Amino acid sequence: MKTGDAGFITTTLENVLEWGRSNSIWPFTFGLACCAIEMMATQASRLDISRFGSEVFRNSPRQSDLMIVSGTVTKKMAPRLKRLYDEMPYPKYVIAMGVCVIQGGPYNQGYSVVMGVDRVVPVDVYVPGCPPTPEALTHGIMLLQDKIRKREGK
Amino acid sequence: MPYEVKEEKGKDGRKVFLIQKENFLELMTDLRKQGYDHLSLITAVDFRDRIELVYHLQKSESNFELLTVRTVTYDSTIDSVSSIWESANWDEREQYDMMGVVFKGHPNLKRILLPEGWVGYPLRKDYDLSKNQYVNMDDEGNDRVSFDPGDGW
Repeated sequence: MKTGDAGFITTTLENVLEWGRSNSIWPFTFGLACCAIEMMATQASRLDISRFGSEVFRNSPRQSDLMIVSGTVTKKMAPRLKRLYDEMPYPKYVIAMGVCVIQGGPYNQGYSVVMGVDRVVPVDVYVPGCPPTPEALTHGIMLLQDKIRKREGK
Repeated sequence: MPYEVKEEKGKDGRKVFLIQKENFLELMTDLRKQGYDHLSLITAVDFRDRIELVYHLQKSESNFELLTVRTVTYDSTIDSVSSIWESANWDEREQYDMMGVVFKGHPNLKRILLPEGWVGYPLRKDYDLSKNQYVNMDDEGNDRVSFDPGDGW
């Protein structure tokens, strides 16, 4: 129905970009260990993260925005992880999923494990747990969305 | 048989063969001919002065009947069985990587889990855990291992 009223909204371009980015975070398949199973469960139909625009897991770093590091980062894997992170285009985000990725977890002081992926790449959101539930990872993604929209996470 | 095999029963009644290192390859060849067509695992135990190797063999024709073969080496060398069972190739590389057992006659004996250049064998009792090693990678994808925390992770 036409009423003649010109309905319009004013906003800034930055807000629009942030809104767009935060609702189209395509994760990068980076399952390194058992946490990957929970990451797959997060992506699957029961706790579908496509509700937040993150349904497409890309297998290429060039096409992804978010690296969910899910699983123990070994010293041998760390240089490869760093290279794949470098190949991702900006803006890029990292979620550290599970205690192994946060500070070594049960492998703390182990000879072959990196004590936290934040020694290799900058981390935006830490999701603790061994492994974190799919709900926790979903919450982590929502926190990241809040961070992109420059709001305080609840 | 031209060699001596000591046989004993394990806790659960399974057969265990103890064999001298010198006759080890002969025994394994004969066992393969007797129908043990599946090499289930190779593992090693470090007793500081010697290393004991444990092989689990299975017969697929009789419901995967299990046979354990044990042998002892004092100089960390043993004959490779990769010419008898193909799967021994990677199993032996793993034992070389973790325990430092040198398998004579192995076609490609190099580290399988840890990067090339790693110092020491981590599952040995005398492995020094206080010295951290750091891994980095060059542009071609070759690993580089050093004791310098500034070089790698």
